[in-house]
Amino acid sequence: MKVGDTLPEISIPITLHRLVMEAGANRDLSMIHHDTKIAQATGAPDAYANTFFLMGLFERQLREFIGLKGRIKKIGPMQMKTFNCVGDVLVVKGTITAIAEDKILIEQTIESDRGVTTICQSQIHP
Amino acid sequence: MSEPSWGKWGTWEDAESFVGKTVGVTRSPDAVELGAIRRWLEPKEFDCALHTDLSAAKAAGYRDIIAPNTMAFTYGIGPYWAPEDGLSKPGYEPRQISIPVIFDVPAPCKLSFATSVEIEFFDPIYVGDQITCTSKLISLLKKELRVGAGAFFKQEDTYTNQDGGVVAIAHLDIFRFNPPEGKKSAS
Repeated sequence: MKVGDTLPEISIPITLHRLVMEAGANRDLSMIHHDTKIAQATGAPDAYANTFFLMGLFERQLREFIGLKGRIKKIGPMQMKTFNCVGDVLVVKGTITAIAEDKILIEQTIESDRGVTTICQSQIHP
Repeated sequence: MSEPSWGKWGTWEDAESFVGKTVGVTRSPDAVELGAIRRWLEPKEFDCALHTDLSAAKAAGYRDIIAPNTMAFTYGIGPYWAPEDGLSKPGYEPRQISIPVIFDVPAPCKLSFATSVEIEFFDPIYVGDQITCTSKLISLLKKELRVGAGAFFKQEDTYTNQDGGVVAIAHLDIFRFNPPEGKKSAS
């Protein structure tokens, strides 16, 4: 493991069905995340993924990388640059940016046809 | 106010009086349980034995199955309905997610959006845990952005289990603002 190594990517298509499942499961029932008309009334192209879902995708990538015995110490700061909407295919990417005695720093991103939509700095303990 | 707004209305003095104070305490309506974990994993297509298999969790050093780390957020949300709320009538306003620095801290701002979130993890969240989230307003910084004038509100959420152990601490940055006169915008 060394600086510059990349994590296995995750690709996941966003459908309204998935967003509804996600809202029910993570309990963020803000209507912008599962109601197209309300999301569009706020200026978004369509209903879009909520923060908890994006955080969960970053956690999934970290967990798949470090395995069951690794520890996830921190996720974030995470900044959302633009929407992750119904119809988008999200690709989660990650790169090791630093390695210290007790932690590994990773920059994670989510990309779609809209470009880089989300950026996140994370820390793990392998 | 006759225009639609997003958040509790008040003055800047009102808002500043909350800095450093607890602005919300939410006890999860549900203890951590396997069905909720499975439903949380499902839409993310997240397959991890720590969250489903006791022997795998024990082999990794845990005493029981653990919830995913970021599921702490979910256990910081209160119920959307309780018997004491009574029955909804047609045309009722659906309840939104509770974010204390928006809905419990008064400020002269109509709109808001989150700019950054981070969460640090400590004790694991085990099946059976009862999680409480305590929210504080850490800071308030007035600022004028392209979307309008307002302020950054930093909320610190401390998630604890039934024994008082800290499972996670999150920081959420929210920009509350008013769009320039004549310009329509929304959070």
